[in-house]
Amino acid sequence: MARALVVAMLRALLLFVAVSALVFGATELLPSDAAESRTGGRATAEQLAQMREGLGLDRPAWRRYLSWLAGLCHGDAGTSLVTDRPVAAMVAERLPATLTLTGCALAVAVPLMLLSAWLVGTASPRWRGPLAALATGVAAVPQVVFAAGLVVVFSAVLGWLPPVSLLPAEGSPLADPRPLVLPSLALAAPAAAFGAGLLGGAVADTVRRPHVRDAVARGLPRHRVAARHVAPFLLAPTARVLALTAGALLAAAAVVEMMFGYAGLGELLVSSIGTRDTPVVQAVAVLAAVAVLAGTAVADALGALTDPYARGRS
Amino acid sequence: MNPLPVRFGALCLGLVLLAAGCGGDGDAASPAGQTLRYVAVGAPATAIHDPHGGIGNQSDLTRFALLYDVLAKPGPNGVTEPRLATSFEPDEKLTTWTIRLRQGVTFTDGRPVRAADALFSLRRIHAKAAENFGRLQMFDMDAARVVGDHTLELVTTRPYAEVPRALESMTFVIPEGTTAFDKPVVGSGPYRMVGGNAQNAVLERNDRWWGAKPPTRRIEIRAVPDPQARAQAVISGQADVASSVNPATVRQVSGDRNLKIVHRPAVTMYPFVMRLDREPFDDPRVREAIKLAADRRELVDKVFLGYGKVGNDLLTPADPSSPADVPQRTRDLARAKELLRQAGHGDGLELKLATTTSYPGMDTAATLFARQLGQAGITVRVTNEPPDTYWTKVFAQRDFYTGFFGGIPFIDVARVSLLGDAPTNETAWKRPDWDAAHWKAMAIRDEAERRRALGTLQRELRDEGGYVVWGVGDGLDLTSAQVSGLPDGPGFDSAFIERVRLGG
Repeated sequence: MARALVVAMLRALLLFVAVSALVFGATELLPSDAAESRTGGRATAEQLAQMREGLGLDRPAWRRYLSWLAGLCHGDAGTSLVTDRPVAAMVAERLPATLTLTGCALAVAVPLMLLSAWLVGTASPRWRGPLAALATGVAAVPQVVFAAGLVVVFSAVLGWLPPVSLLPAEGSPLADPRPLVLPSLALAAPAAAFGAGLLGGAVADTVRRPHVRDAVARGLPRHRVAARHVAPFLLAPTARVLALTAGALLAAAAVVEMMFGYAGLGELLVSSIGTRDTPVVQAVAVLAAVAVLAGTAVADALGALTDPYARGRS
Repeated sequence: MNPLPVRFGALCLGLVLLAAGCGGDGDAASPAGQTLRYVAVGAPATAIHDPHGGIGNQSDLTRFALLYDVLAKPGPNGVTEPRLATSFEPDEKLTTWTIRLRQGVTFTDGRPVRAADALFSLRRIHAKAAENFGRLQMFDMDAARVVGDHTLELVTTRPYAEVPRALESMTFVIPEGTTAFDKPVVGSGPYRMVGGNAQNAVLERNDRWWGAKPPTRRIEIRAVPDPQARAQAVISGQADVASSVNPATVRQVSGDRNLKIVHRPAVTMYPFVMRLDREPFDDPRVREAIKLAADRRELVDKVFLGYGKVGNDLLTPADPSSPADVPQRTRDLARAKELLRQAGHGDGLELKLATTTSYPGMDTAATLFARQLGQAGITVRVTNEPPDTYWTKVFAQRDFYTGFFGGIPFIDVARVSLLGDAPTNETAWKRPDWDAAHWKAMAIRDEAERRRALGTLQRELRDEGGYVVWGVGDGLDLTSAQVSGLPDGPGFDSAFIERVRLGG
């Protein structure tokens, strides 16, 4: 058990370094840099060189990456190259907005996903194929399309909800929930379909297991079969799918936040890539990676704890 | 049922509401009416608290203009309107300027605003030249000094008659010795910062400000990068003012009685820029042919949807020194073809024109212009470049591209892109005689005479330079019907919104 924990932690650490190096390298490969972005193309070569020196951009990329990593070990996420503000503060002021949005999206997506998975998994063989195909189809529609469609229907035609989602000037983003509806739905629909597609198979496999058939044959009521004989087998895959979905939601939030003008982490990420603000890009990307890693770890742990066959062992 | 109690209750409620409406200064009665919600152009991710470097977001500029006093601001007809400064007095040679400041002004933390604070701020702006386009490069800041508590002396590197204009707008004064800019810095302006988050700044009236009491108690500034989203914020009632919306939106909402449009004339310009040191633009005949091939009316009608004016290749038509007696250049395809033939391009000329989508309509302008040039026998291939690298990799580098100017004064344009030592001389306009004439004009004390001399310079640039200025678009702000007093002057004037009023 202890060994497994160490291995899991090492794996997470390696993944973390790999992700951060990959993001850093990718940002580095983009043309132009923060010094050029700050001077708006109106500086002399001399001024640019001075600016790069001031921002530390004159050092080779690998050294900048290592000093970023070293800073992070000391709990310092660095300073933005564009705004001169601490990265931690910039991320922290956006965290509530994105957590609220993805939370709302999850609150819609999870029940929808479980319901659809149940429908797909328990459907008669004739219907299972088309239903699974429908789920895959919906999952494949990009959030942009969902967002645009929702705006057309609920804002332009019906006029029920605003097509932009500005944060309230003060207080919680939940203070006025109306602006959250459309972005949450745009995030939730494809995520639910994606999860349903993955879980549908697990449901189908479980209901075919001998002990379930046995229980049905013994004449137990359907809901008891579902709760006692099927659900325990679904906990682990559900947790894994949820971890994946949460990660995917964070990534999709970037697109949806931009479309609705919602100032969350996704919007920060996209804008910072535009201004080549590497420390900010790194911070947001790493935060998303950590969320996915943590989610997967929790899912693995849940899987180990709830696996009905593992009970009584180790 | 006895109806009396109901009526009595209604009467009481009415009296209470009436009393609340009359009580105090009315602030408590209609808190919503006392908060102006202003949606400005800006990327929330790049919001800054340093008012002296590069200010790329209009949302930041507007916030700074409310939080800090400036020495002066642009007034109507190019006249400088003093703010913190009360007078600007030059010496005989126009190189040493004595600037007197208003007395009894305090920062919101109670400290007095002194000449030392102003000089500290000006020196910071000067030192950050790389970020603010060399805004105060005309000064020798080492020679500047504090003369008294409220008097300072600035020295220019050459005779410079336009010092008051150079000190307009961006000269935000903060306390001497400030070093931390990761949070809002204390100011002495008409408003002070009381809160906000990633997207918003919340400001409240500074009741100790020296100027006329601003009519609105509270202003919320939101940064929204997308023009369509800004407009939607006002249309859907989430905001009272949206700055810089698309012409298409204006056309769409015209006739809606709940909304108003404020036109700021001549603030958007997408000139086509030709580099004079590259072929074929090094030949003046080619440049003239290209200018003659432009159908300016069509460009203004299709790019700005008519919300603008036809251009005459003058870069700063709204500047008071812009020459008024220059005949309008009109389309003349025959003459354009003849010039091209003379220049050796009788059997055609192939060009590549770069553009981007940074500002609405830039790409349309390039595509349309390419078609118009085609009618003059010039084959143009338009390349649409990504906006995030356009201003660093294409702008001021390529030999033919779509530029941008936002209604800045002629002396600023000269400093950043025309003089020989300009940081980005984008057209390679390198004429020692023109530079000399510019500095000679700047040494003329008499305003009318100086403006005439500056006008002559602009005329030469119009005839021989590398800018095709086909038109200028209006700045278009969308407001709810109850907003009044929004500034409508060119350039930085639009940042000063402390006189905006809600309701009546």
